[in-house]
Amino acid sequence: MNYVFHLLTMINIYTILALSLNLLVGYTGLLSLSHAAFYGIGAYISTLFMMNIGLPFLPSLFLAILGSVLLSLIISIPSLSLKGDYFVLASLGFQIIVFTILYNWIDVTRGPYGISGIPRPNILGIQVESIASYFIFSGVLAAICAGLLYLIGDSPFGRVLKAIREDEISAAALGKNIPRFKVIAFAIASGFAAVSGVLFAGYLQYIDPTSFTLMESVFILSIIIIGGTGNLSGPILGTILMIILPEILRFLRIPDTIAPNVREIIYGILIILIMRFQPQGLSGEYKFE
Amino acid sequence: MSILELDNVTKTFDGVRAVDRTTLGFDKGKITSLIGPNGAGKTTVFNLISGFLHPDEGVISYQDRPISGLAPWDIAQMGIGRLFQDVRLFNQMTVKDNVLTAFKKQRGESALMSVIARWKVAKEEQLLSSRAMKLLDFVGLAEKEEELAENLSYGQQKLLSIARLLGADADLFLLDEPTAGINPQMVKVFLDVIRRLTEEGKTVIVIEHNMNVVIEISDWVYFMDEGQVVSFGLPNEVLGDPEVRAAYVGL
Repeated sequence: MNYVFHLLTMINIYTILALSLNLLVGYTGLLSLSHAAFYGIGAYISTLFMMNIGLPFLPSLFLAILGSVLLSLIISIPSLSLKGDYFVLASLGFQIIVFTILYNWIDVTRGPYGISGIPRPNILGIQVESIASYFIFSGVLAAICAGLLYLIGDSPFGRVLKAIREDEISAAALGKNIPRFKVIAFAIASGFAAVSGVLFAGYLQYIDPTSFTLMESVFILSIIIIGGTGNLSGPILGTILMIILPEILRFLRIPDTIAPNVREIIYGILIILIMRFQPQGLSGEYKFE
Repeated sequence: MSILELDNVTKTFDGVRAVDRTTLGFDKGKITSLIGPNGAGKTTVFNLISGFLHPDEGVISYQDRPISGLAPWDIAQMGIGRLFQDVRLFNQMTVKDNVLTAFKKQRGESALMSVIARWKVAKEEQLLSSRAMKLLDFVGLAEKEEELAENLSYGQQKLLSIARLLGADADLFLLDEPTAGINPQMVKVFLDVIRRLTEEGKTVIVIEHNMNVVIEISDWVYFMDEGQVVSFGLPNEVLGDPEVRAAYVGL
């Protein structure tokens, strides 16, 4: 049963990542390759505050979100007033820089050795200890995040983001301050990615930089390309599929030595097929063109 | 009285002067047409006015305030609306959402307000929604409200772009070839809309290649060639100018 709760917990964590990236890719039309960096920033900030200062879970979560939002401004303010391609490059650069810092700043992050013994969350005296209770806890947080992202997306704010995605020039001619909307959308997405990171660190009770690589950013992007973007159902469906898929492969008894490679090949084939035959993903609203 | 003025404005691209020391003035409540051959600098003038380009020299002022150097969204917020030649709709959004996006100063355009003051945003949205439906009704697209903009015919897309522009509640309209590519019946609808705007005191500047349209609606006409104003006056005066007639063979 713990195996099922583990999978469901991972689905909860990745649902937040996928839905927040969806705000950038599906709503605003911004391709970001730095989502795993903000995921990692959230995980490390909360872990460091909890373990070094003994700060409780909730303030650590808050500081992780705040830190992630502030760091997002470093790349968004200079790059988002430029054309889309520059933003992709800036996000790629940021992802690599964050990984390099996490890997090499050993005094603080313990680098490749990682940080173990991360405490499980304690919410107002309630200890979230078992895998089952962590599933419920992460489910509640994922539901809150999904609700907030729904409210944000399904609003005039979300409508402007979609207008920017469709035609920036036209949206600007209607008086919409394009860089401002993009910076805010990026900050929101980064803040939610940090929530996933905090949940991940508390769940595994161990983090190291290899969980927050460029490949992880690409994986989150694959989730929403396959599931679909521009609404809630696409990213959620994509998350369920992409988390469950490796488990299905496990039942096919593919040898462990080649299983990761087979998985990557299947992801690649899926993305190609989706882009060719279903450009809006399995359940998305926005067609990539 | 001019509501918008370009004073000695120059814009150069790779050494070519697209707009060359041009001075233009546009009267409030009037329809002024910009005519001239392709490459005369007309669309560049629109890009300069709406802030998508900034002049290398000269000053653009709107309501006696300099606007050259401002961002396009700041200029739009000041009341200058623009209809693009190539329509530029939000294709993967519904017809109604295209119009709703145009409305200014929406409370729900703040991400925070859309979460913490949801009911107020919903209330405002209801009002805006009925305004959007009136505009869609006006251009005859009310029953297409839930259709994606990309599924409309070209003529309908043009009409939607007009509805969206009206939603932006501008005081000065820049219309880049509004009648291009649409049937004569729709041209009439467009001209009615344009006339109605000036009856409401709005100012309209039109780039137009259809000389019948120019004669029918214009109060004033500028003829531009190679980035400079060659002729200015009443429609019949300008179109009677031999140089202008040479530019438009068959007139």
